[in-house]
Amino acid sequence: MTAAELTAVVVRLKLSLLRNGLRQSGGRRAAYVASAVVALLFGALQLLGLVALRGHAHAESVVVLLVAVLALGWAVMPLFFPSGDETLDPTRLVMLPLRPRPLVRALLAASLVGIGPLFTLLLLTGSVITVAHGGAAYAVAVVAVLLALLVCVALARAVAAANLRLLTSRKGRDLAVLSGLVIAIGVQLVNFGAQRLGSSGLKQLQPVGDVVKWVPPASAIGAVDSVSEGSYGIAALQLALTVGALGALIAVWSRHLTRLMTSPDGSTLQAAGDTATRERGASGLSRLLPAGRTGTVMERSLRYVRRDPKTKAAWVTSLAIGLIVPVFNALQGTGSLYFACFAAGMLGIQMYNQFGQDTSAFWMVATTISSGHDAYVELRGRALALLVITLPYATFVTVLTTAMLGEWARLPEVLGLSFALLGAMLATGAWTSARFPYSIPQEGHKNVAPGQTWLAWISIFGGMVSAALLSSPVIAATILVHVAQGGDAWGWVLLPAGAAYGAAVTWAGLRLAAPRTAARLPEILAAVSKG
Amino acid sequence: MTSAAVRAQGLWKRFGQQVAVAGIDLELPAGKFIGLVGPNGAGKTTTLSMITGLLRPDQGSVEVVGHDVWRDPVEVKARIGVLPEGLRLFERLTGRELLVYSGRLRGLPGGEVERRATQLLDVLDLAGARHKLVVDYSTGMRKKIGLAAALLHNPEVLFLDEPFEGVDPVSAQIIRGVLERYTASGATVVFSSHVMELVESLCDWVAVMAAGRIRAQGTLAEVRGDAPSLQKAFLELVGAGGRDAGSNLDWLGGGAR
Repeated sequence: MTAAELTAVVVRLKLSLLRNGLRQSGGRRAAYVASAVVALLFGALQLLGLVALRGHAHAESVVVLLVAVLALGWAVMPLFFPSGDETLDPTRLVMLPLRPRPLVRALLAASLVGIGPLFTLLLLTGSVITVAHGGAAYAVAVVAVLLALLVCVALARAVAAANLRLLTSRKGRDLAVLSGLVIAIGVQLVNFGAQRLGSSGLKQLQPVGDVVKWVPPASAIGAVDSVSEGSYGIAALQLALTVGALGALIAVWSRHLTRLMTSPDGSTLQAAGDTATRERGASGLSRLLPAGRTGTVMERSLRYVRRDPKTKAAWVTSLAIGLIVPVFNALQGTGSLYFACFAAGMLGIQMYNQFGQDTSAFWMVATTISSGHDAYVELRGRALALLVITLPYATFVTVLTTAMLGEWARLPEVLGLSFALLGAMLATGAWTSARFPYSIPQEGHKNVAPGQTWLAWISIFGGMVSAALLSSPVIAATILVHVAQGGDAWGWVLLPAGAAYGAAVTWAGLRLAAPRTAARLPEILAAVSKG
Repeated sequence: MTSAAVRAQGLWKRFGQQVAVAGIDLELPAGKFIGLVGPNGAGKTTTLSMITGLLRPDQGSVEVVGHDVWRDPVEVKARIGVLPEGLRLFERLTGRELLVYSGRLRGLPGGEVERRATQLLDVLDLAGARHKLVVDYSTGMRKKIGLAAALLHNPEVLFLDEPFEGVDPVSAQIIRGVLERYTASGATVVFSSHVMELVESLCDWVAVMAAGRIRAQGTLAEVRGDAPSLQKAFLELVGAGGRDAGSNLDWLGGGAR
């Protein structure tokens, strides 16, 4: 088979996979069409926006940075969706007699098909239109767009191939789940940075833009700008850099590809010998926990926070966002002390979809629940495990925020509110766990199995609205204390009142959820086994 | 007291348009080694799931050792052990932790759980891997640790779905040994398989399933009838006896393309 034939075959394979994927379900088709429309609309708007930016003094900085961010997106994508594109998985082609060079060319061509590349093309086109002035610049622009697009695609492929080797071992996959987390928290930080930038204007971008315009693929766009300004030498250098980067990426990718296709699959290799985990529980943890089912359930839940990558990622995200939001807002001076309740709210989310977190291992729980009481003890154990971490942490965040804002007088009421909210989250979490369970796929970064997204939305958002409503008596009391004459003197009452209210609501929620859980065991098992 | 370990009547289960189990009646005697055999997709897993309370039937009733599975779960769940197929374990626990967890969920006292877990790990040749996370276990090791968890509370009836699937010969021999000793003491084992030689050598009672129905049930001799082996009898029963793959593949073999 010639290289051209192979390219045609692989591109057709990609199109067939796309078509068959869409044929599988109406929901998937709708989701694809919707995302295509959104991407195209967004791309078109960007295009218009960029064209409007034409002639602005700092346009080239904006454009160059935009392309750099776009390239970063391409680099990060395969980390989030390691198996998103089956033609991207060379292990599926391993049995075919193919040489690496034609294969690389064919796969590169195939990866130009899709919404992502189309969106990128729109953005790149907008970028060059913004900075191109004169015929020569437009000629270079055509080359630049093509080069930048190829660099983006090759970057994604190289990262994916490098990662696939990592992802075929269990430890590597565990690590990958946590790497997504770093990005999620990074986005939060960038968000705060962008807010600051928004207040001081585009001029701030100039120094960053001056550096980034030398970094491929942004350097291709930089070349167009250089040609517009008549600096042909610099433009040639920037284009050469881009070409060099493309060559280097393809070389790296090709090498990984060859190694992937000629060496054994990591997943079938015997796992490293030292995976033994010391059982601290036997002596330390379990001795402190209550006896019977309660302690057993707590112990397993706490072990999973530490050992299960999905659970750990969810916890670390909650812990981090629960801290970042109140503390950063306090730092910027825009904060209110009430933001401290965020910690309790974020951590309370961990009570949601309890059985989904078990995956299909829930059968082990189901075979040992034969009455509403068993279910109550199971749910209570899980809530207690959560409280072991959440209570001290929410208290810590609240005290820290109070200290930063110096509003010590209001500490008791905010703590009371936090505890009431936490109680409401635990109660609604337990109930929705029984009523709206859904699967959490263990591979990749998705937290909902396909087709169950609506369940997750009902579960989390319905639950959060209900939790807010449930804590409304304490919120009302807080408002009353502030509005009523001389009410401030009674602020401290809200601490014991909020704590007691939270405890009572939790108890009631568990009591209501337990019989539902016991009655719906097979339905819950079916719902959480889809991942 | 009834002598049936399991009595199922008119069990139905549909998944959308697909009928997985089409109104089966089963009566499995207590104290026997029972094989539930059938081709892939016959409804074995669905049947076992409904009998053990993991899947709700659309219609029909199930009794295990004389108690209704859905109306009297307290009596049933304490008396059965289950090893399902295709469901995970709590894999982020070590083998030993998994056994202790499972035993204590069933209300066994701590010391007793520790003692039984240690013995089971020894007998099943998992002692060396007891501090390893189950997620790093091989298929055979997973089946063995699942079997240990199912045996830990000394159930009267043990349900095993494909316990030998993907298991190496050494582990299979160990599992056989444990199961034979367990049934010799009067307990009942119900296991599903599509390997006829295995069923023939292990079981004294067989139920044959195909396309969601029971085609035959009875002692091994009754089901086998005049056929030379269970394999032959089985192929006759499921109507695949006369199929021959040879005639149309005349180009296959013989060197050149």
